[in-house]
This record gives sequence, C-alpha cells and structure tokens, in this order.
Amino acid sequence: MAKRERPSGSPDAEVDMTPMIDIVFQLIAFFAVITNFEETQADERVKLPRDTLAKPPEVKVEHQLVLNVGFYRDMKGEKTDTQPWLFNFVNGEPVLPLSAGAQLKKESVLFKNKGIDPAKVTVKVRADAEVQTGIVQELIKLCQNSGFETFAMSAMSGPDE
Amino acid sequence: MARRKQSKGEKLETNMSAMIDIVFQLLIFFMITLQISEPEGDFNINMPANGQPTSSDEIPPFPDIKVKLQANPDGTLAGLFFGQRNLGIGPAAFEQLNIEILKVIGRPGDPITKDMAVEIDADYNLHFSNVINAVGACTGRVDKRSGNIVKYIEKIKFKPPTPQAAAG
Repeated sequence: MAKRERPSGSPDAEVDMTPMIDIVFQLIAFFAVITNFEETQADERVKLPRDTLAKPPEVKVEHQLVLNVGFYRDMKGEKTDTQPWLFNFVNGEPVLPLSAGAQLKKESVLFKNKGIDPAKVTVKVRADAEVQTGIVQELIKLCQNSGFETFAMSAMSGPDE
Repeated sequence: MARRKQSKGEKLETNMSAMIDIVFQLLIFFMITLQISEPEGDFNINMPANGQPTSSDEIPPFPDIKVKLQANPDGTLAGLFFGQRNLGIGPAAFEQLNIEILKVIGRPGDPITKDMAVEIDADYNLHFSNVINAVGACTGRVDKRSGNIVKYIEKIKFKPPTPQAAAG
C-alpha cells in the first residue's frame, strides 16, 4: 500500500482520545463499585440448596465462623466421591466433618481470647444440597459442644429445584 | 475568572499515554478480580447447647409442630409428614406444608407465633436441600405482590438423629 503523504505545513494528525477515556473511566467506576474486596470464606465446591425464602441478610453479622460442607466435584459439577468434606477449615485443608471437634474447640478458644463470647458468634453452615442431614446435625452438635449457639444455614436465593 | 488567551498557532497538549496505560491496567485488574456469585441467604436458627430450652417448671404454651422427613436409601425424599399426615414429595408437598403451617398459626405476624416452634425430624441420610426447603416452608412465604417475606414461625428445632437411622 502506498503511504499517504502528509500535506506539508499542516498540523500533526491527532486522534481525539476524550470519548475513549470517558468510557474507560465509566468502566473502571463500574467494576470498582461492584467488586467485593471482603475476604469471603465461601467455597465454590459447595453447591448450596435453593429456597425462595433465602434472602441476603440486611444486617451484617458481626462475628461469624463459616463451615463449608461439600463434595469433591469434577468440571461438570458431578460428585467424584460420596464422602462429604469440611473445606477451607484447618489451614485450608479439607477435614472429615465429624473429626472437626478439636478444631472447633480451638476456634472457640480463639474467640474467647479476643473477648468474644462464642454463643454470640454465628456459625454459618454452608452445606451442599446433597450432604446427608445427619452429618450436618452432628457437625452442629460438635459446634454446640464447643460453646456455639447461633447458627445460620445458607441457601441460594431462588425458586426451589 | 479571566480566560487565558491562547497565543496564535500554539496548542497546549498533555501527554495522555501514561494515564491511559494506568487506566487500562486498573480496568484489567478489576475485570480479572471480579467474581460473579449468586446472592446467598441464611436461615437463622438458635440452638443452645443443652438442646432443651424449657425447664420442668416452664411448660411451653404450645406443643411443637412436628414435621417429619423420610428418606429413600439414595437420600431423596420419600415422604413429608405434617404430624401424622403424609403430604407427599416434591415442591407441591412443601407448598402444602406452608399452607398447613398457615392454618395452625391463623394469622401471620400474630404475637403467639413467637411461642410456637416447629420440630423437624429428618432421616440421617436425607439430602440437606429437603431440610432447607422444609425450614423455608415453615418460616414463611414470599408475598407475590410486594415481594416481601411474610413470616410464619421463626423457632425451628431439630430432632437429634436417631442412632438406628445413623447406623443404617
């Protein structure tokens, strides 16, 4: 292709950047607003049950302990193992839900050391839709033995499956 | 404010390339760190350690409403029982449970509902989603017109899993 020659004596060809910068700033503002920088302790392996009544809490819980009970799943979301695990609990390692008693006692002591009564701490149970109810109940019992009394069971907002 | 006069033929220019570089970096950072997650809700349940909040001298004004969930061996729901009545399975059963609870409380928001409690007795191997749906059906319903939650009974109790069921 022949190079177009710049007419002599005319000013440099300039691209007007203003609209682009406007749009880019709009995008940045949008992403900055919707980005949640809070450290969430939710584990994506847990496929929560759905219920229409599960609405996000209006008041933020002050102190909470999150328990993610779920299964190992493949890329399609199918269970690869029937054994449920407590994810992201002890140093990020999964543990068996029924052997979490010692760690729950440690968590309780940690809260006490911070001057927080464990009974005031909300234990957020993020249990997979397919976890056996008995396992969740036994996990709650372990929490109760460690002094926790307030529980919140998580579910996705939306119509039942 | 006095307007500054521009001298003829000269144009003031700022070098925008550095700013555009940074702005694009920021844009890419926000786009990558964005996590799209569905909104999550909670059902709050107060369960003291001793399990029996009522002492012998304190008789509850209303007996607990019993809701039983029976499971098939594969963990799916085999039957939802309200007292002795079998409400069946599937979403229709939970809707029926919601209607039955409304019949018991009479009027939503009545102060007497504060003294009422539902005891959920679920089989050990039942999928947890059924329990959540039962808790949802007992807690209230979403008003179709306003979209607000109409609360029925907030006190939910769980019957401890039976050892026989745990073994099986």
